[in-house]
Amino acid sequence: MSEMEIKTVPDMETDGETVLKLEHLTMQFGGVIAVNDFSMHIDRGEIVALIGPNGAGKTTAFNCVTSVYQPTSGHIYFHGKEIGGEKMHVTPDRITEQGIARTFQNIRLFSGMTVFDNIMTAMHLRRKSGLLTQVLHLNAEEEKKNREKAWKLLETVGLTDVAEEMATSLPYGKQRLLEIARALATEPTLLLLDEPAAGMNPQETNELGQFIVRIKNEFNLTVFMIEHHMNLVMDISDRIYVLDFGKPIANGTPEEVQQNPVVIAAYLGVDEE
Amino acid sequence: MKTKSRKPAVLTWVIVAAVYAAVFAAEQILPPSSMLFTVLKKGATYALVAVSMNLLNGFTGIFSLGQAGFMLIGAYVYGIFTIPVESRPVVYQYYEGGLIQFTVPVAVALILAGLAAAFFALLIGLPVLRLKSDYLAIATLGFAEIIRVIVQWDPMGPITNGANMLRMFPSFNDFNIRDAEGNVTLYLSTLVPFLIAGICIGLIVLLLHSGYGRALKSIRDDEIAAEAMGINLAHHKRLAFCISSFFAGIGGAMLAMYQTTVQAKFFTTAMTYEILLIVVIGGVGSVTGSVFSSFLFVAASEWWLRFLDEKQMIGNFEVPLLRNGFRLVVFSIIIMVVVLFFRKGIMGTRELPDLFRRKRKEAAK
Repeated sequence: MSEMEIKTVPDMETDGETVLKLEHLTMQFGGVIAVNDFSMHIDRGEIVALIGPNGAGKTTAFNCVTSVYQPTSGHIYFHGKEIGGEKMHVTPDRITEQGIARTFQNIRLFSGMTVFDNIMTAMHLRRKSGLLTQVLHLNAEEEKKNREKAWKLLETVGLTDVAEEMATSLPYGKQRLLEIARALATEPTLLLLDEPAAGMNPQETNELGQFIVRIKNEFNLTVFMIEHHMNLVMDISDRIYVLDFGKPIANGTPEEVQQNPVVIAAYLGVDEE
Repeated sequence: MKTKSRKPAVLTWVIVAAVYAAVFAAEQILPPSSMLFTVLKKGATYALVAVSMNLLNGFTGIFSLGQAGFMLIGAYVYGIFTIPVESRPVVYQYYEGGLIQFTVPVAVALILAGLAAAFFALLIGLPVLRLKSDYLAIATLGFAEIIRVIVQWDPMGPITNGANMLRMFPSFNDFNIRDAEGNVTLYLSTLVPFLIAGICIGLIVLLLHSGYGRALKSIRDDEIAAEAMGINLAHHKRLAFCISSFFAGIGGAMLAMYQTTVQAKFFTTAMTYEILLIVVIGGVGSVTGSVFSSFLFVAASEWWLRFLDEKQMIGNFEVPLLRNGFRLVVFSIIIMVVVLFFRKGIMGTRELPDLFRRKRKEAAK
């Protein structure tokens, strides 16, 4: 299928409480339209996956939601409040403050810090004490509470035994888990995972799927993820959106998407006589 | 949760206390003209400035070269507010005694020096901190040059004394306690700069160990991730820039006390490079390293290598090459060797307590 023939599929209707809503999101870099008129939404408690071939604009869509990019046009709403879109100038930290946390496709841990300090750093956002209080270490109670919470998060992801190791000395899979734990430390309600299973073997991928469902329930999260491992996507997603050449070409439940001929064509290609 | 051993921290405190006690004792015993005290005083001053620079370059990842400019502001503010009123007609002889006709206590002047430097940092930080790496370095370097010229500008004379020097303000030697005849009963002229620098560096260490310290380090490690974790980049960079400048300002005031005079033309880019060199040799990202290397740097450049500048005879044999200026040649070679063999500086990113921890896992690089 060539780029011109792709039809934009409108967003589907659901009856849950909408957490995140993208309206006609478009992101243009010069002559390249990375995301083209993309509308979607996520309901509370859902796991929604965004899939599509390489270069389809999935990570760009993520970067628009987290304000790393300023969308060319369109609107982004979080719990009904506009948090991004055309003419909205917000820095990514403000988005995190609202309760949206993310991980990165190419892991971005704080390399000069221990595993434990990586988590502690992410708690800086929610601290109540000011600069002087912190410098003079008059916030012992807060610090103690944070340390306990950071330790709990490490227990959740099973990294307590490496807490004092440098973050970048961990094996790949553990670094991914640490990134998720670090994102959780910002106390999000919506978690964005950018290819959490990249570089994992089938066994690890399977475990990761169970892990995502577990933290979703434990932390009352809504999850939005980009993923290439179709088994993982089909296993745990409630709904799936498919992007191709920046355009939304399909959406629905895993079964619907799996059987959609447009999706199959996008992934496998069709003969053009 | 695991609890860390307290032993390294205790040992660190013992060492610090021992150093202060040794400085105090040496001052009472050795003649005050000894080169040792020159080195200790200037070393303490440079240690503070180097640590303040390390806070920016090593811990926040902001490559700034404005240190000499902020030191200049600190030195001038200190001088302007502490020259005794009766001495002002002499100092400001070309400007009819100058505009300011009051003095403040030394401690207040020190804090004012820091605040003035921090204020300028806030002002230039607004536009400049948007820049990254080399561009930021060039912009801050430019700022330092501009400040140096503005201070010497004639219309500024009634305040800054123009291109003439400020002098007759309290210096380190005025901290010595004297009896009625003017004889020194208790020498404090080295201990006091150690105390000032110690308190300031202590505050910086406390900052680095707080939540804010971690936030600054996260900016150094990965700006994009730091921002995604909710750390406001602009705010935290500005904060680091102002705090660093505050302590550079106090360091400038200490330099004024050490030199007993202040003149803008000495606060050159070369001074910033000296401090950068100290930071790099000590280890970018190590407070202990900066402190060690400033004393080593000052001792080597002012004292230990002095003999290379004079003719030396071994028996009847005159050692070749030794003449005025040769010291700097040797000094440069030593620095090159250090940089070649200690790629990460003397301390790397380790601190004093780390030296007492038996197994410290290094970052896998």
